[in-house]
Amino acid sequence: MNAPSGVIEGGWEYVWAAYAVTAVILLGYAASLIARYSAERRKAARGEKGAIEVLS
Amino acid sequence: MTESAALPPPRGPLPWVAGGLGLALLAAGSWIGLFEAPAEQHMGDVQRIMYVHVPTAWNAMLAFTFAFACALLVLWRGDWRWDCRLEAAIEVGVVLSALLCIQGAIWARPTWGVWWDWDPRLTTTAVMLFAFIGILALRRFVDDPSRRAAWSAVATVIAYADVPLVYFSVRWWNSLHQMQSTPETVSSPFHLPLRMNAFGVLLLTCAFISLRARVAQLRLREELSPPPPAWAAPARAPATGGAR
Repeated sequence: MNAPSGVIEGGWEYVWAAYAVTAVILLGYAASLIARYSAERRKAARGEKGAIEVLS
Repeated sequence: MTESAALPPPRGPLPWVAGGLGLALLAAGSWIGLFEAPAEQHMGDVQRIMYVHVPTAWNAMLAFTFAFACALLVLWRGDWRWDCRLEAAIEVGVVLSALLCIQGAIWARPTWGVWWDWDPRLTTTAVMLFAFIGILALRRFVDDPSRRAAWSAVATVIAYADVPLVYFSVRWWNSLHQMQSTPETVSSPFHLPLRMNAFGVLLLTCAFISLRARVAQLRLREELSPPPPAWAAPARAPATGGAR
């Protein structure tokens, strides 16, 4: 019987999983930030437009 | 705290430039880490997880360190901009810490044989993650912006006490987790992808914090803007006298 070598064989599925999770979380967070920023800018623009209409 | 007039609308290309550069650097570093760098002597190919795990860990702690500095500046200067940056840094730190725990679990399974262990490094990291999630929750529950800023700044200073514990836990206590990776402990073929990904995630962290601070600033501007005068309010329809 061969003694265990102490070296991990294979394991590419864990590597792909780690990189996939990293990509999904970082890109997903980036997309959520861009969406929130666009929504806030639209809201701010509407507010400023409304204020100008009230004052004029 | 200062008035909303001291909160100019956020502008500038920083998040877009830093984000683009960070993404490109991270993609290139990951390519080298996956396909060019050699497998590690004992861990084999599984060690390639290091190229995303270690940069995530460094930058999560950096984000919380920036949050700590923002908290001190909120308490000292009372400037709303630091409160926006505090909120942004905590949220980005939480995202990176959550990602760190997931990556760590995926790496732990083939190397330690378990997804999770209540080891000092993992436990202090979990405490760090949930402490800062708690501060984000606190910010949601406090309506008054001045109180929200002050309370979350104090909470951040307290929660930050765990960050040095995370870093030094592997030196101070017996831990399954290996010691910190430094150029002396990492073989030279591994340096390039690790450094590229570290700078890539750093640039992404800067981009995320900058963009998230803009979101917080726009929300706060709206919150602090005075309500419209009574004469500007739309006229109400007269009551009909209950015809139903």
